[in-house]
Amino acid sequence: MILPKKGDPVIVQNITGRYGRLHTRLMLDYGTNVAAGATPGKGGQTVEGVPVYDTVADAVGKSGAKTSVCFVPAEFTLPAGVEALEAGVKLLVIITEHVPVRDELKLVQLAQSKGATIIGPNCPGIIIPAQKVKLGIMPAPSFTPGGVALYSRSGTLTYEIAGQLTAAGYGQSLAVGIGGDPINGSTSIEWMDFVQGMPETKAVVTVGEIGGDAEERLARHISRSGYRKPIVAYVAGRHAPKEKKMGHAGAIIYGNVGTADSKIKALNEAGVRVAMTPMEVPALVKKALA
Amino acid sequence: MRLFEYQAKELFKSYGLPVPKSVLVTDVDGVRGAFASLKAPVAVKSQVLAGGRGKAGGIALVNDASQAEKEAARIFGLAIGGEVPSSLLLEEAYPHDAEMYLSVTLDRGDRSFVAIAAKSGGVDVESMSGKVMRKIPVEGASQGFADEVASQLGLPSGQNAQFSKILLSLERLSREKECELAEINPVAVGKDGTLMPLDAKVIIDDNALFRHPEFSKLHPEDEFEGEASRQGFAFVRLGGDLAVVGNGAGLVLSTLDLVGDAGGSPACFLDLGGGAQQERIEAALRLVNRLPGVRRILVNIYGGITRTTDVAAGLESVTKDGKSKPVFARVSGAEEEEARKMLAKTPVKLFRTAPEAVEAVVKSR
Repeated sequence: MILPKKGDPVIVQNITGRYGRLHTRLMLDYGTNVAAGATPGKGGQTVEGVPVYDTVADAVGKSGAKTSVCFVPAEFTLPAGVEALEAGVKLLVIITEHVPVRDELKLVQLAQSKGATIIGPNCPGIIIPAQKVKLGIMPAPSFTPGGVALYSRSGTLTYEIAGQLTAAGYGQSLAVGIGGDPINGSTSIEWMDFVQGMPETKAVVTVGEIGGDAEERLARHISRSGYRKPIVAYVAGRHAPKEKKMGHAGAIIYGNVGTADSKIKALNEAGVRVAMTPMEVPALVKKALA
Repeated sequence: MRLFEYQAKELFKSYGLPVPKSVLVTDVDGVRGAFASLKAPVAVKSQVLAGGRGKAGGIALVNDASQAEKEAARIFGLAIGGEVPSSLLLEEAYPHDAEMYLSVTLDRGDRSFVAIAAKSGGVDVESMSGKVMRKIPVEGASQGFADEVASQLGLPSGQNAQFSKILLSLERLSREKECELAEINPVAVGKDGTLMPLDAKVIIDDNALFRHPEFSKLHPEDEFEGEASRQGFAFVRLGGDLAVVGNGAGLVLSTLDLVGDAGGSPACFLDLGGGAQQERIEAALRLVNRLPGVRRILVNIYGGITRTTDVAAGLESVTKDGKSKPVFARVSGAEEEEARKMLAKTPVKLFRTAPEAVEAVVKSR
């Protein structure tokens, strides 16, 4: 996985849509080099001064970007994602919510065969404050450069926890929304391993929620791999009912699978400090770093 | 979207899967005629989506028409997990010696669909003994795939071909109709070794429904869930007296936890979604104000891209005539001080942090 550095070009897919436009401006304001956009049939226009091309291949060819932020609606996310991966995009950030799970599986498989990474879908993207790289929709003021790597299945909860870390004096080496769907383009385990290799990351905060067994798998991975950096976790949904989709497609308990209690227990057993509320996270980070 | 058993069985039939003969009834008057067209004994089965139907008394085995009517009347009045059936399935009982399990489902961790089968059925898939689990290629299961699963199960000869056929049909159904789960629990093994699916559980991927308009009219829609979905809100009714509204699924979920910890009882989960402007806040508050049982409203907004002044304008507009249920709000983020000034003149009770707002609203009973 290769993340863009300060000034590296990135492209925006469906840059001419309402959200594509808004967030292109906010990404540019943050200092991210949005160098080109792609929307079929809209080639030749500009959005916030950024040239628009009909195809991802042209946008990538003219800008030299290896990274794309995708705002294409769910019905067309599969072909748009395939187009990006075929055009040589190596980091594909899919913001779109409501992508069918079988489309996601096809994209994940194609990305693996191309040696590319997908973040999302159904996520706020990734922000690397020290590099002034913001690939997505998160509000810039919540984030500041620092030593905490934060990744989460939820968008606003990421902002909330980042805002509290920032207020407590703990900046972020990166913050990633891995997505609220049952399938994530890149998993919490992959991010855990990635940030282990980042010297600027001193502690890791992982934010999970009900549904699936990603947190249980992560806990097993932490135990088995002898993870070296301090970890703090928060899991939302201790009071959620069973068999109900709680906002995110992936946030659902089936039978006894996917409960918050099971996740918290597994993480505790792996030696992870688990916060009971988002507000407790900064204090636990302080303890973990002491 | 989860289908009722009878809907799932219609789907089974169209994919060539065997199912026992059955008739759907929507009132007790239809029971006698339905019973007469079936061979006794007959199972009377509540058509609810809630789990644990059998244990809750939602299934009865009957031998004559008056018994069928009596049991039907009872089951029509029986709420299971708060859900009262609007129809019952009368189905010919299938005498059998053993029960198997079969499903095609998403393995989230492995990021693939899998077939799961076991020679003995059961309630808990996790702890099923002798379970066979096999990853299905993206292009679908082949005859060879199905035969492998059958041979791994170690079925008696004579059942292998039947089992493979059922698995292949179920997998094709799951793939073509984009199911998150297609499950047969149990598959009955008849006295002569014939396999027969007795129950059917099918959950369609909500995000794929745009490709499957045939499912759009299958469910009687809850008035509030229908309106919420047209507004683009994620909404779940929870039965308590405190409406919980916020922006972002994770944030609302964590707010429910704070409410639960403080001893409160949420009436609903309502996620406004991204870019919550004034009109959306207004629509959400009007909706939860009408929701039966709601006595207070808790609003938790972390404004990032959402401007808190827009949120404040929405709260102001809904509460200014004094007719709204009491609103307790935590509004944080861009332009927060401006928003606080706007709300100071309204009946909205405003707090700096979510725990403070939760404590106040739960205590206000």
